Amino acid sequence: MHRFGLAAIALVALVAAVFVGGGSASTSASPKKGGQVVFGAEQEPPCLNGFLSGCNNTWTSWTVGTQYRGLYIQKPDFSFVPDLAQSAKIVKAKPMTIAVKIKKQAVWSDGVPVTYQDFKYVWQQEINPKNDVASRSGYDSIKAITPTSKDGKSFNVIFSKPFAPWKALFVNSLYPAHALNGQPDFNNVWLNDTNNPKTGKPISDGPFTMTNYTKGQSMTFTANPKWWGPHKPYLSKVVFVFRTNTDTEIQAIRGGEVDAIYPQPQLQLVDLKGQPGLKIESNAGTTLEHLDFNEQLKGGMPLLRAPWFRQALAYAVNRQAVITQIYKKFNPKQQVLQNLTYGNSQKGLYVPHFQKYVFSPTKVASIMTKHNCTKGSDGIWSCNGTKATIKYGTTTGNKLRELVQEIVQAQAKSAGIQFVTDNDPSRLFFPRVSDGNYQIAMFAWVGTGDPFGQTDIYGIGGGSNWKGYNSVKVTNLFKASDAELNPTKRTALVNAADANMAANVPTLPVVQKPTFLVYKTKIHGIRDNSTVQGPTDNMQDWWVG
Amino acid sequence: MLTFIARRILYSIPVLIATSFLIFAGVSLIGDPLGGLKVNPLASQQTIDHITAEKHLNDPIPVRYGYWVRDAVTHKFGTPLLSNVPIWDDLKRVIPHTLMLVVTAELISLLIGVSIGIYSAIRQYSVFDYAATTFSFLGFAMPVFWLALMAQILFTNLFLAWHVRIFYTSGLSSPDPGTGIHWVLDRAQHLAIPVMVLCVLNLAVYSRFMRASLLEVVNTDYVRTARAKGLTEKRVTMKHAVRNALIPVVTLAALNFGALIGGAIVTEQIFQLDGMGNYFIQNLLNTDIYPIMAWLMVVAVAVIFFNLIADILYGVLDPRVRYD
Repeated sequence: MHRFGLAAIALVALVAAVFVGGGSASTSASPKKGGQVVFGAEQEPPCLNGFLSGCNNTWTSWTVGTQYRGLYIQKPDFSFVPDLAQSAKIVKAKPMTIAVKIKKQAVWSDGVPVTYQDFKYVWQQEINPKNDVASRSGYDSIKAITPTSKDGKSFNVIFSKPFAPWKALFVNSLYPAHALNGQPDFNNVWLNDTNNPKTGKPISDGPFTMTNYTKGQSMTFTANPKWWGPHKPYLSKVVFVFRTNTDTEIQAIRGGEVDAIYPQPQLQLVDLKGQPGLKIESNAGTTLEHLDFNEQLKGGMPLLRAPWFRQALAYAVNRQAVITQIYKKFNPKQQVLQNLTYGNSQKGLYVPHFQKYVFSPTKVASIMTKHNCTKGSDGIWSCNGTKATIKYGTTTGNKLRELVQEIVQAQAKSAGIQFVTDNDPSRLFFPRVSDGNYQIAMFAWVGTGDPFGQTDIYGIGGGSNWKGYNSVKVTNLFKASDAELNPTKRTALVNAADANMAANVPTLPVVQKPTFLVYKTKIHGIRDNSTVQGPTDNMQDWWVG
Repeated sequence: MLTFIARRILYSIPVLIATSFLIFAGVSLIGDPLGGLKVNPLASQQTIDHITAEKHLNDPIPVRYGYWVRDAVTHKFGTPLLSNVPIWDDLKRVIPHTLMLVVTAELISLLIGVSIGIYSAIRQYSVFDYAATTFSFLGFAMPVFWLALMAQILFTNLFLAWHVRIFYTSGLSSPDPGTGIHWVLDRAQHLAIPVMVLCVLNLAVYSRFMRASLLEVVNTDYVRTARAKGLTEKRVTMKHAVRNALIPVVTLAALNFGALIGGAIVTEQIFQLDGMGNYFIQNLLNTDIYPIMAWLMVVAVAVIFFNLIADILYGVLDPRVRYD
């Protein structure tokens, strides 16, 4: 559900800072019906059609998107399980064909059954070049969608080429074709409401339907009586109010003006720990913080082109100390990230390839000496006349990142490497980074937990390989993984690529950023989903008591 | 008078054109407006190309400015860079919210500030005067963001201590504010703290200006003449001195009001009020030039309009002022 384009939201470089607390989701034997929850949303959707690039952000997905379920849903353990779909399986390898069966009981709020037409409608909009959709990834690999039953509940999705992350694609929302067919321009669909244009009434196949939107202030979702899930939603209403300022969010939840918040982790949130009547839940999310080393001549630094120098840098950074000094304050279970693709929490997939890089000035010295580098009177290494002084940039205003930067600078200096601050506000920083105009950059990739997209980031010629990493082996391994339909073999390919990268260190992973959900103890059934689904994916289970 | 107004309006046109071009060029040069979209590895290149072509992003700045002028005139400022939501619809929504905040804060500040200023001037060097001076300097010195955050914390703590909701610390209204008097009360509870914060700052300004201006006026010849005629001190002060002493305060209030139409940016941001200031900040963070330009035009027109009002009020307050 509610992920118009997870792929679109995914892998967007964003600010991040980390935070965690204790606590766990509430449970109780007998849910009460009725009542409402007021949720403080940290962003307001710019517009409501989450497939469009201008409307596509995480809060669009976590609010409006709750109305539009996908064939699959991603669970908190990062697994993909059927949601609207009764079943979906690969029935043919060439051309790759997936047979899908939609649940019989799945209907829209006006009683019209959810069918293949709804999936087909989204596909057609996604591949229409006139539509300003955020991402066409995956949809552009579909060749045809054909019904296999009269009621339209069963259909085949035929791909033009093997597409391994099809489950992640199937998480994307379905739109009601019977309501939206005939709209002349998809770019104008659902900008300020999510009504059926033909009837003017709200439409949804989720547990709640948006019945009021006061722009700039709040969105009200009312229980959908036609909800097809195992039980009717317990709450009568869920209201999202927009609180985009962290300090304001904190006072709002303290003072009971909102019942729950899901902020980007910030240091001041730690004060909420121990506040009576509040619970805090935190999990490792899909945002992977890292240090990117630019190997290109343009904007880069000559020494960064040498793998041995990048290895020395990895030994000069005490990542464990960063975790201990910052992240563990919030979550004692926080670990150093040791893989560039999978997060620590992805059991069975995560292999800690980078764990050999433990802070060691001795190892740095050994590597430097071996490559004829000498230490100057200021304690900084010089190699062939080039001083180990490197520009280190991150996003100004992201307090946690700035704090990490200060710590890393001090650590590196003790190992004879000088990091010079080179920060910019994110609106300037990311365009600069994507232009290759940096030496070391600290930022994050937001993914789905699926390795799709790594070719673009680490592969030769990849649109986001701004660092200029140039490994034929890694490129081929990632490309092969994108086409490998056997999950076990695919994971092996991805981890082989990651092991290779651990040897060459194009990037140094730092931490898997945690999420941070704060809610009142009176709310039950609420729980964090640290994947891109967010905490609102089970609103039907929430109740107040 | 009409000639004067017409001339002032005509003078303002080149100012508006020059200002809008400079701001357009400045914001355009900040960075790539599609930068946020381009860093997404899975972003559609077709979409990026389509938006670039549709919004003429590859054209030189003067050409883009020309397209913007066309949109501003024929399509009420058009749409933002990435969506088709009309900009004017958003402005129509946020302007009344800002007016509600600003007008309330200005009126209260003027009323109290002018009264304090008058009393301080009449009772110069009294305990009241010293106290007013001290608090005025405090008001001047306090950064608005700090004061706003402190007020939020204070009223949250009061709620936690007493379990009585005196004022809300954020938002413009409750999720279900009701209608009629319930709506009014709910809105008042939400606007009370931001209004208070703005008042503290404005009060300091107005009371000091009024005090200084009145002290200057009470020593002029015509006031002495009024006293010599045997008028009561109250009549001398209120009818003769205060009226003239109000001139600089009126100028200040008019300029202040015009500027505040742009939104009390920090106050609206901290209290999450859906006003002009918040609108500006959100769009500035998104580097979306088109809503910023629309915001700028509205603010510029407001500033020019209120300057004109101030000039007209001079004549009302001071008969010596004549327009030609």
